Amino acid sequence: MTGITLSPDAWKDIDPATEALLDKWLVAEGDTVRAGQTLANVVLVKANQDIVAPDDGRVEKILVPAGETFAQGKPIAVLKELT
Amino acid sequence: MLGCSQRALRDDIERRLQGRAELTVRESGGGAVLTGPWLVSVSVVLPQEHSWVCNGLIDSYRHLGQLHVGALKEFGVAARALPPQELPRTHEASAVSTVNWACFGGLSPWELVNAEGRKLVGLAQRRCRTGVLLVAGTLVGPVDWALLCDAMGHRQHEPLLRHGTVSAQEMAGCPIEPERLAALLTQRLERELLTTRT
Repeated sequence: MTGITLSPDAWKDIDPATEALLDKWLVAEGDTVRAGQTLANVVLVKANQDIVAPDDGRVEKILVPAGETFAQGKPIAVLKELT
Repeated sequence: MLGCSQRALRDDIERRLQGRAELTVRESGGGAVLTGPWLVSVSVVLPQEHSWVCNGLIDSYRHLGQLHVGALKEFGVAARALPPQELPRTHEASAVSTVNWACFGGLSPWELVNAEGRKLVGLAQRRCRTGVLLVAGTLVGPVDWALLCDAMGHRQHEPLLRHGTVSAQEMAGCPIEPERLAALLTQRLERELLTTRT
């Protein structure tokens, strides 16, 4: 199981108190995804960006629904890798 | 024009607009903006490894903000781009309350303001695997804030937006043709981007 997060690079120079907005999910729980596939769009400091799957797998659980915010390092979903 | 995260508001806004303006949703983040002859917009698409955008999303705003400072100076507009470390201080010093739903209702890193902290240029971006889209909007002349506030269902915010923003024309003390500003920005972008490929 892997927690899917917005990469630390995306948070560079950003105040730790700032949260990102989960704008849109492009997959649902139970979907099979490929490494590099865009899973969600998030907005941070007026920048819309993609969150991609780190590996092939299945989206086990969505932890942050669309419209909610999340802090740096917080997983937005759980990915179960395909073996 | 709505920011990408405002698309769910679309039906309500269409109903309130009653055909007074067209409604679109842009790919980048940020709040709603009323486009028209009073706004000069710039869109720049760069590869992820370009020096303007490879040092994180905050720094990605810096070059485009500073380019606007230089271009506007030629029109007699003395604006400055806000470094991130000055943002909290500016918010405290400014009499302007943040209006979260509007692009020009708040301040973000490297956006342009006048000496009183009134906003002149707004910035946003869209980052994806294939590149980075940077967008900027400059208020050239007076904006119909009442129309925007009415469309968004926040009529009470009209004075806040009017007092929290400033146009290039107001700062220069004379009319500025949007076409001339657009031409100068294009010229400067071409010059800068041809010399800073990566």
